Amino acid sequence: MNVAMLDHTPSSNTPDFQWAVETHGLTKRFGDNVAVNDVELLVPRGCAFGYLGPNGAGKTSLIRVLLGLTHADAGTMSLLGYSVPHHRDLALARVGAIVDEPRFHGHLTGRQNLQILAAARESAARGRIEASLERVGLAHRADDRVSKYSMGMRQRLGVAACLLGDPQLLILDEPMNGLDPAGMHEMRDMILSLVAEGRTVMLSSHLLDEVERTCDAVAIVDKGKIIRQGPIAELLTGATMEVQVECSSPEEARTILLSTTFGAQVETDASGLTIHLAPGTGRDAIAEINRLLVQSGLDVYRLQEMQVSLESWFLDVTSRLGESA
Amino acid sequence: MTELSSNAMTASSVSREQRNASRDHRGSWIPTPGMIATRIMELRRRRGLMAALIAVNIGIPTIFLAIRLIAHVVAPKSYGPAGGYDIFTNLVAGVMYVFGFIVAATLGCTAGSVDLSEGMFRHLVITGRSRVALYFARIPAGLAIIVPMVAVGFTIVCAVCVFAAPAKLSYQGVTVPSGLSATGFQSWAVHHPKEAVCGLPYRSRNGIPCFMDQKGKVVVPPGSSGFKHVSPATLKADAIKVAKQNYTAYTHIFLYPSNLLMVKAGLWIELEAIIGFIVGLGLASLIGQRTVSVVLMIVLEIVLTPIFSRAPIQHLINFQRGLVGLATAHLEPGGLPMAFGGGGGPGGGVSIVPETTTVAVCVIVAWLVGWTALGAWRMATRDT
Repeated sequence: MNVAMLDHTPSSNTPDFQWAVETHGLTKRFGDNVAVNDVELLVPRGCAFGYLGPNGAGKTSLIRVLLGLTHADAGTMSLLGYSVPHHRDLALARVGAIVDEPRFHGHLTGRQNLQILAAARESAARGRIEASLERVGLAHRADDRVSKYSMGMRQRLGVAACLLGDPQLLILDEPMNGLDPAGMHEMRDMILSLVAEGRTVMLSSHLLDEVERTCDAVAIVDKGKIIRQGPIAELLTGATMEVQVECSSPEEARTILLSTTFGAQVETDASGLTIHLAPGTGRDAIAEINRLLVQSGLDVYRLQEMQVSLESWFLDVTSRLGESA
Repeated sequence: MTELSSNAMTASSVSREQRNASRDHRGSWIPTPGMIATRIMELRRRRGLMAALIAVNIGIPTIFLAIRLIAHVVAPKSYGPAGGYDIFTNLVAGVMYVFGFIVAATLGCTAGSVDLSEGMFRHLVITGRSRVALYFARIPAGLAIIVPMVAVGFTIVCAVCVFAAPAKLSYQGVTVPSGLSATGFQSWAVHHPKEAVCGLPYRSRNGIPCFMDQKGKVVVPPGSSGFKHVSPATLKADAIKVAKQNYTAYTHIFLYPSNLLMVKAGLWIELEAIIGFIVGLGLASLIGQRTVSVVLMIVLEIVLTPIFSRAPIQHLINFQRGLVGLATAHLEPGGLPMAFGGGGGPGGGVSIVPETTTVAVCVIVAWLVGWTALGAWRMATRDT
């Protein structure tokens, strides 16, 4: 979904109920480097939203700007409908976030670190400490010093810190970093459960597979600029279709298919053919390919539509951008 | 995309949030009691730092006084009493003043920089709490640690100096009651002329060559005529003269400090500790680094301040006046030894660098307000 298609005018004073995060023309420069480049981002409420991009694409910079950790050079933004930084205190009252690697006072226990953070929030936050620790599975280690925590435990403590404010919006920067497969699985389940409660989770990551498993919608960022955003299913609909074919004569099949009007790209390999069909091609094309090959006297042993992954779509989009550049 | 939108948040819940947020004054510069309490906890749990603070503020004077007490008990004739006026004044002006500043500055530098260096500052900023409030919470938290700590050390010094002050003078075999006025001291000398002339440290130029042995007896060197040719009237006159010369030393060495002096000295070293903490806090917040800040504070206290307090420099006189160490020294209670060009003497108010008390107070206030403002500003504008 292209942002330009959205007819939405942000309000600076009254909370908007539709978008958890909304930015317009947001720009952040570090010297000559434009880390956040005219970003138009709309994160709907109540979903898991992935902010995807390669290392150095400007994901963390955008999050830091959103959270008021650094100032924006241009543009407007709002969190939960509150204009930031004008209503920063109101906005962040219901936001929890982890930025970069979660770090805490190592000489204090997990519980004591949460007490410090709860004291900076509303009075009810203190009563949520135990529940937060319980939820992230750290209750049994809550009285150990954080210096003895593993990376995964610190990540979980970071999530517990986020939960102290009973957040409507959680912003997690690379939450899977440093986690083992079991830890990643737990984190994924936790994110999904948070979303199931009606919270919005925005997570930045370069792990496309994890984002695809966790998120409902994504934005792809490269060199500080958002190049695509929308629900994953909708984005993948616009991707090229890939069909694998095993037949008696792959070279002959290739010649046949290139002479048709499918506009397909065909590659041959030892196992057969891989056909890339243009975006928007219907599934009827698969049946048509089969018909053509059989009518030409070829034996077709296997004909399979490959599920387009977010990763292949991402690589496809970024490679096309690279070519156009 | 809109089908993903949550309807979890309603208008009423938003207004409830607004009410809650305004109730906890999250945007206010004033920290909550909870914030201050947790900052105290965070600092107190730094065992190494706390051990160092206690060792310097309480340990050094306690160990010094304990050694003196033991030495005096074991060998009272060789080692004087542990307490007394001189011990008090020297400990306060020489040790507690300087070390109190340095440990307070170390605590301030720690409080001002650890949130940044340990990564907690981001978590705290993300709560939406005013950054200035986060900074201001550190001031009462740090002072709640350093002020009582200095007070404990000072109380120990006061207690020992008062209770272990000598009940009577016993110096080189001369035994003199304590607490005598100048007239009483002269009267004692008139009644013990040989002990006064031969035993007290400062003697008349026309004094007789004699001394006291360890048993308290007057000894005249062989070959000397001793007291044979000295009339009683001359001897009494000499004794009064010696008593007059020795009275200042008598009051300093053998009396305990007055209550007023102790109160003034206590407030003075607390002021020095408060200055050290707040300046250290501001400097560390400005720089964002603890070690450099501590080194700069030590340089200020034990290098720059002593150098610029030795003598007035005509072209730098206002710079000298602007040094907080000299301004604080100017407020040093009378009766304490001169520290960094200020205080000293029974009347106090002596200062090598001439300035009024008003100017000294203004300089101190400017340092406190200025460094607090700088630290808060940097905290509010720092990218993290």
